[in-house]
Amino acid sequence: MQIYLPIAELSVNMFTIFGMGAAVGLVSGLFGVGGGFLLTPLLIFTGIPPAVAVGTVTSQIVASSASGALSYWRRQLIDWKLAGYLCVSGILGAAIGAVAFQWLRRVGQLDLFIGISYVLFLGFIGALMVWESMRAILGDKFGWQPPPVKPPMSHKLANWPLKVRFHRSRLYISALPIAALGVFIGFMGTLLGIGGGFIMVPALIYLFNVPTNVVIGTSLVQILFTMSAATIFQSGLNSTVDIVLALILMIGGVIGAQFGARIGQKLKGEQLRALLGFLILAVGIRFLYDLAVYPTDLFSLAPALGSK
Amino acid sequence: MLLRLALALLLALAPAAARAEQLVAAVSSSAVNITSNFTGAAITVFGSIERDASTISRQGPYDIAVVLRGPATTFVTRKKERVLGLWVNAQNRTYVGVPSFYALATTRSLTEIAVPQLWDKFQLGLSNISLPEFIAGDAPVSAQRQDFRAAFVELKSRAGLYREEFGTVEFMSAAMFRVNMALPANVPVGDYVAEVYLFRDQAVLAQKQARFIVRKVDFEQMVFDFSRHQGWLYGIVAVLLALLTGWLAGVIFRKD
Repeated sequence: MQIYLPIAELSVNMFTIFGMGAAVGLVSGLFGVGGGFLLTPLLIFTGIPPAVAVGTVTSQIVASSASGALSYWRRQLIDWKLAGYLCVSGILGAAIGAVAFQWLRRVGQLDLFIGISYVLFLGFIGALMVWESMRAILGDKFGWQPPPVKPPMSHKLANWPLKVRFHRSRLYISALPIAALGVFIGFMGTLLGIGGGFIMVPALIYLFNVPTNVVIGTSLVQILFTMSAATIFQSGLNSTVDIVLALILMIGGVIGAQFGARIGQKLKGEQLRALLGFLILAVGIRFLYDLAVYPTDLFSLAPALGSK
Repeated sequence: MLLRLALALLLALAPAAARAEQLVAAVSSSAVNITSNFTGAAITVFGSIERDASTISRQGPYDIAVVLRGPATTFVTRKKERVLGLWVNAQNRTYVGVPSFYALATTRSLTEIAVPQLWDKFQLGLSNISLPEFIAGDAPVSAQRQDFRAAFVELKSRAGLYREEFGTVEFMSAAMFRVNMALPANVPVGDYVAEVYLFRDQAVLAQKQARFIVRKVDFEQMVFDFSRHQGWLYGIVAVLLALLTGWLAGVIFRKD
């Protein structure tokens, strides 16, 4: 069934989009990630203008992180003070991101920026995840005890000025690196149409020693507020949020996530991480391929912005 | 449509004072509405050639060319170049005030219809559309770089927004003609004009215009206007909708 998207200004098959939302929802439920890093590229590859894909997925991430955050809130697995610091800085990052988005789009380098960022980000995180989980899996098999990954870096970052105490996480560290992380995630998330949970969670664990039981809930709250702000900024500055597309993706996503979560309980943690690592790596390589291989179209066409 | 056809016929039969052929033209609807299930539309351009006793008798057959033009827009065409191993948008050309949609339909091929000077004059055919190029601080000049021009037309054609079809205009009688022209699902919204040209013996005898509008209606129009004029409020509504969906999902699928 064809449905016309009022902001993307094209007609798409509703079931294809719904299926995409559900498939990405399944993956996100399976791995406990937002899935923006899969959904945005999928939409771009199916012909939705990249700017609309990015803007719309930010609103879809709000929906998927809202149900997750609620469930962690009920179980009281959130460090609200830490989340507050990350949210304020994240919203600032989102504002800068939306302005940068507008500028990159005008000079015609948004696609390039999205491409390179996906390659670097996904390549790095994916490789790291594959590497670590393979070590753990091989260690299990051969009874080999891998040496500890790396010493937590918190003791270096913690001694920066403006130290704050986070009771729930039992941390007494500088607010500066925390704020820097929030700004960075908000900025990149807004530009790339990703929530950034797959960066935020490892960063909180490895860089700041945040206890693993509150890390996901806290990260979800940050994503929820930052992406809400990003949706408003993207809409206000760039008019790139397609509410019809978003609604189809949201409904597909939340349904898919339920099935994903059920399958996920049957798989082992290391296997899940290795699978997710390969998936992230594959998307990164796909973007690298597009950037490096002789393009099928040397030319591209876009309406000139700011000339109405 | 029937009413309009009848009207056109009536006009065609009305006595005219001029000696040369008169052209009457109309389109099948004055508005094409884009709704949620819009997958494209067809518009019929029809008309008649009117002559009276004093009209000079000529040898060759009549020919008709119909040009549909969408609202004028400014486009940027960008060309990728290899920089440090990556393909990067490097050069670009900006075309000012070019039609966002263009379709040509004729009775025969252009060479049979008119002399090449007229193709340029009336912008008949994809290779004759004028693409004024924007150069900063200067008046627009017509497109200089052939590769950019060709790429622009090619990309537009592939999107189904630039077309030319020869031999699709048919005569229903000696004086009445019509053509069905397709508007694809991605047709730009705005004011359209159908330009109808009458040719004989390689020369243009008469020309006429008919206008119509392509517009989003109801929900689609509301959403579009809302996002353009009140983007910030639109964003807040989108967030509330997302929160509601997320919350509902949490309630429906709650396990604990």
